[in-house]
Amino acid sequence: MFRFIIRRLLVTVPMVLIVVSLTWALIRTAPGNFYSGEKKLPAAIEKNIRAKYGLDQPWYKQYARVMTNTLRLDFGNSLRYENETVNDILKRTIPVSATIGLLAYLLALAVGVTFGTLAALKPNSKLDYVSMALAMLGISLPNFVLGPLLVLVFALSLYWLPPARWDGFPSWSLVLPVLTLSAVYMAYIARLTRSGMLEVLRSDYIRTARAKGLTEKDVVVRHALRGGLLPVVSFTGPALAFLVTGTVVVERIFAMPGLGNYFINANLNRDEPLILGIVAFISIAVLIANLLVDIAYGFIDPRIRY
Amino acid sequence: MSKKNSSSLAALLLASALLVSGCGGPAAEGEYFGRMEAPEGQVLRYISGSEPESLDPQRSSGQPEARVHMALFDGLVEYHPKTMEPIPSIAESRGEIDEDASEYVFRLRKNARFSNGDPITAHDFVYTMRRGLKPELASRVAYLAYEIKYAQGYNEAGSFVRDPKTGRFVRASEAEAAKEGEAAAAPAAPLDAEESHKSELARGGESAAPDTEFHKFIHEPTRLVVPSDEADRQKAYKANPKLKSLVEGKELVPVRAEDIGVEAVDDYTVRITLERPAPYFEGLLAHQFFRIVPKKAIEQYGNDWVKPGRFIGSGAFMLAEHKPYNQIVVTRNPYYWDAAAVKLDKIVFYPLEEQTTMLNLYKTGEVDAVYNHTVPSSWLKAGVKKMRDYMDAPENTSEFYNINITKAPMNDLRVRRAFNMAIDREGLAAFKVTAKPGVTLVPHIFLKYPRPKGVDFDPEGAKKLLVEAGYKDASGKYDPKKFPAGDVEINYNTNESNRQTAEFVQAQWKQHLGITVSLRNVEWKTYLDMRSKREYKGFARAGWVGDYMDPYTYLGIFTTCEGGDNGTGWCDPKFNKMLQEANSEPDEQKRLDMLAQAEAYFLNQQPVITLMIPATNWMKKPYVKGLYPNPGTLHAWKYVYIEHDRAKWDRQMPDMTTAELAEK
Repeated sequence: MFRFIIRRLLVTVPMVLIVVSLTWALIRTAPGNFYSGEKKLPAAIEKNIRAKYGLDQPWYKQYARVMTNTLRLDFGNSLRYENETVNDILKRTIPVSATIGLLAYLLALAVGVTFGTLAALKPNSKLDYVSMALAMLGISLPNFVLGPLLVLVFALSLYWLPPARWDGFPSWSLVLPVLTLSAVYMAYIARLTRSGMLEVLRSDYIRTARAKGLTEKDVVVRHALRGGLLPVVSFTGPALAFLVTGTVVVERIFAMPGLGNYFINANLNRDEPLILGIVAFISIAVLIANLLVDIAYGFIDPRIRY
Repeated sequence: MSKKNSSSLAALLLASALLVSGCGGPAAEGEYFGRMEAPEGQVLRYISGSEPESLDPQRSSGQPEARVHMALFDGLVEYHPKTMEPIPSIAESRGEIDEDASEYVFRLRKNARFSNGDPITAHDFVYTMRRGLKPELASRVAYLAYEIKYAQGYNEAGSFVRDPKTGRFVRASEAEAAKEGEAAAAPAAPLDAEESHKSELARGGESAAPDTEFHKFIHEPTRLVVPSDEADRQKAYKANPKLKSLVEGKELVPVRAEDIGVEAVDDYTVRITLERPAPYFEGLLAHQFFRIVPKKAIEQYGNDWVKPGRFIGSGAFMLAEHKPYNQIVVTRNPYYWDAAAVKLDKIVFYPLEEQTTMLNLYKTGEVDAVYNHTVPSSWLKAGVKKMRDYMDAPENTSEFYNINITKAPMNDLRVRRAFNMAIDREGLAAFKVTAKPGVTLVPHIFLKYPRPKGVDFDPEGAKKLLVEAGYKDASGKYDPKKFPAGDVEINYNTNESNRQTAEFVQAQWKQHLGITVSLRNVEWKTYLDMRSKREYKGFARAGWVGDYMDPYTYLGIFTTCEGGDNGTGWCDPKFNKMLQEANSEPDEQKRLDMLAQAEAYFLNQQPVITLMIPATNWMKKPYVKGLYPNPGTLHAWKYVYIEHDRAKWDRQMPDMTTAELAEK
């Protein structure tokens, strides 16, 4: 187990370097640059800017700098927001994105697992049909439609909740973005739980548990859920990494000062250090989340050994 | 010139949000849009656009930044809240200008202070200009100060050329003479180097500032400046072969910050010497680049001086909080020279980009006003345009079509005029929703500028002109089939809005002239190149955002014959002379009259087809007073206040045809 973890962590380093290299190459090939704007800059001003940011150096020197920065996890100052370093921005935005993402995932988990289990216990019942229909709706309704719909009803028509803006945690302004964000996950988790549970409930060890005379509650909670939730666990890894690193659409609709918002703008602004910093962070987050999922397997499923 | 960066995602978001909000409909809300309850106290909540690149006024270029900088920093002059003309601020009065508007003297207030209580003196302005132009700062807007003598040379890291034997500097005029012919065409030719300085003042003060060593230096004949960098210099030699002989064998003396034409004559007098006469220069001084920055904080904290706690400003407000992409809070600066006149206690800027989101906040009353170009046209059509809190005034922008007059059939003035007369501009403006009809090139935002009449919609007259030009059948009647429609097309840079305009114009010409002109869209960077080299036939779109508040920012485009932003191939020494004469006229009103005559002459030659003037397109709650839909949507915040008396709330958009301000 220990060796497995070490090996996986070591693989992370070259993986991140590769991702950052590819991203860097893509930025290089994209047209435009961070200082090109509405009006053409005088040549001398462009020259001043290129000199200041080392863009006049040969590409291999610039690439070498990017690689050392990646290894040191320090990408220097943002090109657009000159008074801030990439790490300043990450430190400030990740908590925002993580708050919304974690809340959304917890909500999705609570609601999804409950309804998924209930549906699996009484397949083809009314409850099953209704919750699975709702889940279908949740999956098919994109968040850029659901978000404005919720705003229209709860903010613009009823004036119950603020339509946007981050107001710290906890606050009423979190309600709508968290609901919007969690809908899809809630739906997925409900469906995954239902199918996982259905399979497990038919298996031999559940029959054994029932034969031993355990109560239905003990059977479901202590024995079935553990196996039935395996698909949910494998879904959790990437989902959590994705949620915590910011969800562009929801952050924009609700004007949340999270990482997702910056990710979009960094790309539009060709803000190289910021793009690379965010990409490096997201790839590390995804790799670690997957590692955690693999470790969790070992605990949940007795058949898996490392 | 193209205005916004838009991602397909943003467009998608907007489209879907509109789809959804369309059902609720903003229309069914009555006279005003959404909730109307004035917040308690004197606090304004304003949506300012993208997160500022920097709170350093000299390191950012955009309007989202300018809106915040205008609260935090003050300049020698400030924008008038309505007309955006320069009004004195840290300077006691408007600048005193010499006879030909190439030198300005400003007397500073003795009571102007930074937000830490330190006095603001002439030396602070000098420091500000030297810092802004420093090549290492790499400011993107440094070119705004290039009118100042040697500013460009310093910013471009240039060098003077000195003869080591005699110690004499080579003059710019020597190199100018080397470039044959070109100097004559340029309208803004540098001052005759030998001409002695005229100290007589044309406006304002009774006596000029005293003569100093620096003043003598800056009025020596203009020195030649060449690139210090070897490779760049070789390029310059190629462009002007005679340059090489002037420079070879001589020593290069780098242009220093101390050489630029900005001088503190004494602690409270600033003298600015320009490269050439520029009567519009004072208007530039209100730009954030020229607003006074604190030497003390910058030298102490370097890059971090703009962080709350370290920040020192010169404006009516000071920085209290800065949470990027969330909020910037500014509070009243007790040391501000005009603190008694400042009405707001606090402004909260919300940096936000999604149009739908900001209007949602506006509707629910979470913000009091938004910036320009923010109301989606589908909302306007659904009724917002008629609401009393909608701000619909012309902007400092003009949209028109260049005509390539070097190719037939557009080399015929009659044909150009006919095409101009066959467009219904009222119809175009109504179709575009957020535009005003543009019969002239210069937008109708300059109250003192007597706009020429221009030629408007007249389809019958247009046909007559085409008959005169020979497009008629045997019986002498107009025959559109004779017109070589294949030789003209409408070119525009790829953009949804440009396409709609082009389609409208196309339909107009088809309807009124029976001529079908084809459309062609080209990617932006390729388009610019194509237009300036005139590699197009017929028409090419242009949208010009004024650099400063003066008609010259538009008329000046057409003074260069080749390259630049003039894509028409039209240039006329008479027009250039008219402009040059106007710019040397010290009397403000006379000068504007002369510029208007020049524009009338220009329009009569029809090298362009004027189309429309974009509208401000934003909203403010009726209880926000002193906030006006001015042509640049830049607000001098000290005039703004919250009116708690409902009876005094705005019943409509403030009257923009007068410069009078709301009084509390």
